[in-house]
Amino acid sequence: MTERLPRKDVVIVGLGWTGSIMALELARAGLDVVAIERGPWRDTATDFNIGTAPDELRYGIRHDTLLRPRRKR
Amino acid sequence: MLEKTRRDVLAGAASVAFASPTLARTITGEEPWQPGEAHPPLAAGPGPLQFLTEREAAVLDAMVDRLIPTDELGPGGREAGCTIFIDRQLAGPYGVNDGLYTQGPFAEHPLPTQGPQNPLTPREQYRHGLAALDAYCQSNFAGRAFDGLSAAEQDRLLGDLQKGAVTLPGFDAKALFTAVHTNAMEGFFADPIYGGNRDMAGWRLVGFPGTRYDYRDVMDRPNQPYTLPPVSIQGRPAWQKASR
Repeated sequence: MTERLPRKDVVIVGLGWTGSIMALELARAGLDVVAIERGPWRDTATDFNIGTAPDELRYGIRHDTLLRPRRKR
Repeated sequence: MLEKTRRDVLAGAASVAFASPTLARTITGEEPWQPGEAHPPLAAGPGPLQFLTEREAAVLDAMVDRLIPTDELGPGGREAGCTIFIDRQLAGPYGVNDGLYTQGPFAEHPLPTQGPQNPLTPREQYRHGLAALDAYCQSNFAGRAFDGLSAAEQDRLLGDLQKGAVTLPGFDAKALFTAVHTNAMEGFFADPIYGGNRDMAGWRLVGFPGTRYDYRDVMDRPNQPYTLPPVSIQGRPAWQKASR
Protein backbone atom coordinates (compact mmCIF):
# COMPACT_ATOMS: atom_id res chain seq x y z
CA MET A 1 0.00 0.00 0.00
CA THR A 2 1.42 3.34 -1.04
CA GLU A 3 1.36 6.00 1.63
CA ARG A 4 1.80 9.62 0.63
CA LEU A 5 3.88 11.46 3.20
CA PRO A 6 4.00 15.23 3.67
CA ARG A 7 6.30 16.98 1.25
CA LYS A 8 9.70 18.06 2.64
CA ASP A 9 12.56 20.07 1.21
CA VAL A 10 15.13 17.37 1.93
CA VAL A 11 14.96 13.67 2.73
CA ILE A 12 18.14 12.12 4.12
CA VAL A 13 18.38 8.35 3.88
CA GLY A 14 20.68 7.04 6.61
CA LEU A 15 21.44 9.28 9.56
CA GLY A 16 25.04 8.29 10.23
CA TRP A 17 27.96 10.68 10.50
CA THR A 18 27.58 12.04 6.97
CA GLY A 19 23.81 12.20 7.02
CA SER A 20 23.75 13.84 10.44
CA ILE A 21 26.12 16.62 9.45
CA MET A 22 24.23 17.21 6.20
CA ALA A 23 20.92 17.27 8.09
CA LEU A 24 22.25 19.77 10.60
CA GLU A 25 23.70 22.05 7.94
CA LEU A 26 20.55 21.96 5.83
CA ALA A 27 18.26 22.53 8.81
CA ARG A 28 20.40 25.47 9.91
CA ALA A 29 20.08 26.85 6.39
CA GLY A 30 16.33 26.92 6.94
CA LEU A 31 15.27 23.86 4.96
CA ASP A 32 12.64 21.42 6.18
CA VAL A 33 14.56 18.17 6.65
CA VAL A 34 13.39 14.64 7.39
CA ALA A 35 15.86 11.78 7.93
CA ILE A 36 15.16 8.09 7.52
CA GLU A 37 17.23 5.75 9.68
CA ARG A 38 16.62 2.12 10.58
CA GLY A 39 19.39 1.46 13.04
CA PRO A 40 19.62 2.19 16.75
CA TRP A 41 21.90 4.75 18.32
CA ARG A 42 25.52 3.58 18.42
CA ASP A 43 27.97 4.67 21.03
CA THR A 44 31.66 3.78 20.93
CA ALA A 45 32.04 3.37 24.66
CA THR A 46 29.15 0.93 25.02
CA ASP A 47 28.56 -0.70 21.62
CA PHE A 48 32.24 -1.15 20.85
CA ASN A 49 33.40 -1.60 24.42
CA ILE A 50 36.88 -3.05 24.64
CA GLY A 51 35.74 -5.49 27.31
CA THR A 52 32.99 -7.04 25.18
CA ALA A 53 34.06 -6.28 21.59
CA PRO A 54 36.26 -9.41 21.30
CA ASP A 55 33.12 -11.55 21.82
CA GLU A 56 33.42 -13.68 18.69
CA LEU A 57 30.17 -15.56 19.24
CA ARG A 58 28.09 -12.42 19.60
CA TYR A 59 29.68 -10.33 16.86
CA GLY A 60 31.64 -12.64 14.56
CA ILE A 61 29.15 -15.52 14.41
CA ARG A 62 25.74 -14.18 15.44
CA HIS A 63 26.45 -10.77 13.77
CA ASP A 64 24.97 -8.77 16.63
CA THR A 65 26.27 -5.41 15.37
CA LEU A 66 24.69 -5.75 11.96
CA LEU A 67 21.11 -4.72 11.37
CA ARG A 68 18.88 -7.66 10.65
CA PRO A 69 16.91 -8.12 7.45
CA ARG A 70 13.86 -9.02 9.50
CA ARG A 71 12.62 -6.79 12.30
CA LYS A 72 10.39 -7.67 15.20
CA ARG A 73 6.83 -6.50 14.78
CA MET B 1 -25.49 0.98 19.25
CA LEU B 2 -27.01 -2.02 17.56
CA GLU B 3 -28.02 0.03 14.53
CA LYS B 4 -24.60 0.36 12.98
CA THR B 5 -24.60 1.94 9.56
CA ARG B 6 -22.38 0.75 6.77
CA ARG B 7 -20.44 3.99 7.11
CA ASP B 8 -19.76 3.32 10.83
CA VAL B 9 -18.41 -0.13 10.09
CA LEU B 10 -16.12 1.14 7.35
CA ALA B 11 -14.90 4.00 9.51
CA GLY B 12 -14.23 1.56 12.36
CA ALA B 13 -12.31 -0.76 10.07
CA ALA B 14 -10.24 2.12 8.76
CA SER B 15 -9.24 3.29 12.21
CA VAL B 16 -8.21 -0.25 13.14
CA ALA B 17 -6.09 -0.50 10.03
CA PHE B 18 -4.27 2.72 10.82
CA ALA B 19 -4.00 1.95 14.54
CA SER B 20 -2.06 -1.27 13.85
CA PRO B 21 1.54 -0.94 15.02
CA THR B 22 3.95 0.16 12.35
CA LEU B 23 7.69 -0.41 12.27
CA ALA B 24 8.70 3.18 11.76
CA ARG B 25 8.07 6.09 14.06
CA THR B 26 8.62 9.78 13.60
CA ILE B 27 10.97 11.56 15.94
CA THR B 28 10.99 15.33 16.14
CA GLY B 29 12.44 17.72 18.66
CA GLU B 30 13.91 15.13 21.02
CA GLU B 31 16.48 12.38 21.00
CA PRO B 32 15.09 8.89 21.57
CA TRP B 33 18.11 7.53 23.39
CA GLN B 34 19.73 7.91 26.77
CA PRO B 35 23.39 8.83 27.11
CA GLY B 36 25.54 5.83 28.02
CA GLU B 37 22.91 3.25 27.05
CA ALA B 38 24.63 -0.14 27.10
CA HIS B 39 23.70 -3.58 25.84
CA PRO B 40 26.04 -5.95 27.64
CA PRO B 41 25.92 -9.65 26.74
CA LEU B 42 23.21 -11.55 28.56
CA ALA B 43 24.81 -14.03 30.93
CA ALA B 44 23.48 -17.59 30.79
CA GLY B 45 22.63 -18.23 34.38
CA PRO B 46 22.85 -21.49 36.25
CA GLY B 47 19.73 -23.47 37.01
CA PRO B 48 17.51 -26.01 35.28
CA LEU B 49 17.28 -26.61 31.54
CA GLN B 50 15.44 -23.84 29.71
CA PHE B 51 14.57 -25.50 26.42
CA LEU B 52 15.89 -29.06 26.21
CA THR B 53 14.18 -31.92 27.96
CA GLU B 54 16.17 -34.11 30.35
CA ARG B 55 16.24 -36.87 27.70
CA GLU B 56 17.46 -34.53 24.97
CA ALA B 57 20.12 -33.15 27.30
CA ALA B 58 21.33 -36.65 28.16
CA VAL B 59 21.68 -37.53 24.46
CA LEU B 60 23.41 -34.21 23.71
CA ASP B 61 25.75 -34.76 26.66
CA ALA B 62 26.73 -38.10 25.11
CA MET B 63 27.18 -36.53 21.66
CA VAL B 64 29.37 -33.62 22.77
CA ASP B 65 31.34 -36.00 24.95
CA ARG B 66 32.28 -38.01 21.85
CA LEU B 67 32.92 -34.91 19.70
CA ILE B 68 35.24 -33.45 22.35
CA PRO B 69 36.17 -36.28 24.73
CA THR B 70 37.72 -35.68 28.10
CA ASP B 71 41.34 -36.78 27.90
CA GLU B 72 44.82 -35.98 29.14
CA LEU B 73 44.60 -32.59 27.42
CA GLY B 74 41.71 -31.46 29.64
CA PRO B 75 37.96 -31.48 30.08
CA GLY B 76 35.74 -32.45 27.15
CA GLY B 77 32.51 -31.03 25.79
CA ARG B 78 30.34 -32.44 28.54
CA GLU B 79 32.47 -31.11 31.41
CA ALA B 80 32.90 -27.77 29.64
CA GLY B 81 29.11 -27.29 29.63
CA CYS B 82 28.44 -27.50 25.87
CA THR B 83 24.96 -28.93 26.54
CA ILE B 84 24.07 -26.05 28.87
CA PHE B 85 25.42 -23.64 26.25
CA ILE B 86 23.22 -25.20 23.56
CA ASP B 87 20.21 -25.16 25.91
CA ARG B 88 20.65 -21.47 26.72
CA GLN B 89 21.26 -20.55 23.07
CA LEU B 90 18.11 -22.38 22.00
CA ALA B 91 16.11 -20.69 24.75
CA GLY B 92 17.33 -17.27 23.58
CA PRO B 93 16.96 -15.30 20.33
CA TYR B 94 19.23 -17.70 18.40
CA GLY B 95 16.74 -20.51 19.03
CA VAL B 96 13.99 -18.80 17.04
CA ASN B 97 16.19 -17.37 14.26
CA ASP B 98 15.41 -13.91 15.61
CA GLY B 99 16.27 -11.28 13.00
CA LEU B 100 17.20 -13.77 10.29
CA TYR B 101 15.46 -13.97 6.95
CA THR B 102 14.14 -17.54 6.80
CA GLN B 103 11.55 -17.45 4.04
CA GLY B 104 12.00 -18.94 0.59
CA PRO B 105 12.86 -19.44 -2.13
CA PHE B 106 15.15 -22.27 -1.02
CA ALA B 107 17.84 -23.57 -3.32
CA GLU B 108 17.75 -27.27 -4.12
CA HIS B 109 21.51 -27.44 -4.59
CA PRO B 110 22.73 -24.51 -2.49
CA LEU B 111 26.27 -23.24 -2.48
CA PRO B 112 28.12 -23.75 0.80
CA THR B 113 27.95 -19.98 1.34
CA GLN B 114 24.17 -19.86 1.10
CA GLY B 115 23.48 -21.07 4.62
CA PRO B 116 20.57 -23.21 5.76
CA GLN B 117 17.93 -23.66 3.07
CA ASN B 118 14.89 -24.37 5.20
CA PRO B 119 12.59 -22.37 7.48
CA LEU B 120 13.35 -24.53 10.55
CA THR B 121 14.47 -22.67 13.64
CA PRO B 122 17.36 -24.12 15.67
CA ARG B 123 14.78 -25.11 18.30
CA GLU B 124 12.82 -27.14 15.74
CA GLN B 125 16.02 -28.68 14.38
CA TYR B 126 17.04 -29.96 17.79
CA ARG B 127 13.53 -31.11 18.80
CA HIS B 128 12.86 -32.97 15.53
CA GLY B 129 16.46 -34.06 14.96
CA LEU B 130 16.97 -35.57 18.40
CA ALA B 131 13.56 -37.28 18.23
CA ALA B 132 14.53 -38.78 14.87
CA LEU B 133 17.89 -39.92 16.26
CA ASP B 134 16.12 -41.48 19.23
CA ALA B 135 13.71 -43.38 16.95
CA TYR B 136 16.63 -44.56 14.82
CA CYS B 137 18.58 -45.82 17.85
CA GLN B 138 15.52 -47.52 19.35
CA SER B 139 14.93 -49.55 16.21
CA ASN B 140 18.57 -50.24 15.27
CA PHE B 141 20.20 -50.84 18.65
CA ALA B 142 17.60 -53.07 20.31
CA GLY B 143 15.78 -50.32 22.19
CA ARG B 144 18.87 -48.51 23.44
CA ALA B 145 19.03 -44.72 23.13
CA PHE B 146 22.13 -42.89 21.88
CA ASP B 147 23.46 -42.32 25.39
CA GLY B 148 23.09 -46.05 26.09
CA LEU B 149 25.46 -47.07 23.28
CA SER B 150 29.14 -47.87 23.76
CA ALA B 151 31.67 -45.20 22.88
CA ALA B 152 32.68 -47.13 19.75
CA GLU B 153 29.04 -47.43 18.62
CA GLN B 154 28.49 -43.73 19.29
CA ASP B 155 31.59 -42.79 17.29
CA ARG B 156 30.52 -44.94 14.34
CA LEU B 157 26.98 -43.52 14.38
CA LEU B 158 28.26 -39.93 14.64
CA GLY B 159 30.55 -40.58 11.68
CA ASP B 160 27.61 -41.98 9.70
CA LEU B 161 25.47 -38.97 10.60
CA GLN B 162 28.25 -36.65 9.44
CA LYS B 163 28.59 -38.45 6.12
CA GLY B 164 24.84 -38.84 5.70
CA ALA B 165 25.38 -42.61 5.58
CA VAL B 166 22.34 -43.29 7.74
CA THR B 167 18.76 -42.16 7.19
CA LEU B 168 16.94 -40.86 10.23
CA PRO B 169 13.14 -41.09 10.16
CA GLY B 170 11.90 -37.65 9.22
CA PHE B 171 15.08 -35.61 9.63
CA ASP B 172 18.25 -35.02 7.66
CA ALA B 173 21.09 -36.83 9.45
CA LYS B 174 23.74 -34.43 8.16
CA ALA B 175 21.74 -31.40 9.32
CA LEU B 176 21.47 -32.80 12.83
CA PHE B 177 25.20 -33.54 12.96
CA THR B 178 26.08 -30.10 11.60
CA ALA B 179 23.88 -28.35 14.17
CA VAL B 180 25.29 -30.29 17.13
CA HIS B 181 28.89 -30.07 15.86
CA THR B 182 28.68 -26.32 15.17
CA ASN B 183 27.00 -25.47 18.45
CA ALA B 184 29.30 -27.77 20.45
CA MET B 185 32.33 -25.97 19.01
CA GLU B 186 30.72 -22.63 19.78
CA GLY B 187 29.98 -23.78 23.32
CA PHE B 188 33.51 -25.05 23.84
CA PHE B 189 35.23 -21.91 22.58
CA ALA B 190 32.76 -19.05 23.16
CA ASP B 191 33.04 -16.88 26.23
CA PRO B 192 32.01 -18.70 29.44
CA ILE B 193 29.33 -16.05 29.95
CA TYR B 194 27.12 -18.08 27.58
CA GLY B 195 27.21 -21.24 29.70
CA GLY B 196 29.88 -23.31 27.92
CA ASN B 197 33.71 -23.18 27.98
CA ARG B 198 33.54 -23.79 31.73
CA ASP B 199 36.61 -22.48 33.57
CA MET B 200 37.77 -21.38 30.11
CA ALA B 201 38.69 -25.00 29.39
CA GLY B 202 38.52 -24.48 25.62
CA TRP B 203 40.76 -21.43 25.78
CA ARG B 204 43.28 -23.16 28.05
CA LEU B 205 43.41 -26.05 25.57
CA VAL B 206 44.40 -23.84 22.62
CA GLY B 207 46.24 -21.15 24.59
CA PHE B 208 43.78 -18.36 23.78
CA PRO B 209 44.25 -15.33 26.06
CA GLY B 210 40.55 -14.34 26.11
CA THR B 211 39.50 -10.71 26.44
CA ARG B 212 42.60 -9.17 27.99
CA TYR B 213 42.43 -5.39 27.88
CA ASP B 214 45.79 -5.08 26.15
CA TYR B 215 49.22 -6.68 25.94
CA ARG B 216 51.55 -3.76 26.57
CA ASP B 217 53.40 -5.46 29.43
CA VAL B 218 53.93 -8.57 27.28
CA MET B 219 55.12 -6.62 24.26
CA ASP B 220 57.94 -5.23 26.36
CA ARG B 221 59.28 -8.77 26.74
CA PRO B 222 59.55 -10.19 23.20
CA ASN B 223 60.39 -13.79 22.30
CA GLN B 224 59.00 -15.21 25.51
CA PRO B 225 56.03 -17.55 25.68
CA TYR B 226 52.75 -15.97 26.76
CA THR B 227 51.85 -17.57 30.07
CA LEU B 228 49.09 -15.40 31.56
CA PRO B 229 45.84 -17.28 32.23
CA PRO B 230 42.83 -16.46 30.03
CA VAL B 231 40.31 -13.79 30.99
CA SER B 232 36.60 -13.88 30.16
CA ILE B 233 34.14 -11.02 29.69
CA GLN B 234 33.27 -11.45 33.36
CA GLY B 235 36.92 -11.44 34.37
CA ARG B 236 38.52 -14.37 36.16
CA PRO B 237 37.13 -16.38 39.09
CA ALA B 238 40.16 -15.32 41.13
CA TRP B 239 39.33 -11.64 40.62
CA GLN B 240 35.71 -12.12 41.60
CA LYS B 241 36.72 -13.85 44.84
CA ALA B 242 39.13 -11.03 45.63
CA SER B 243 36.47 -8.34 45.16
CA ARG B 244 33.93 -10.01 47.45
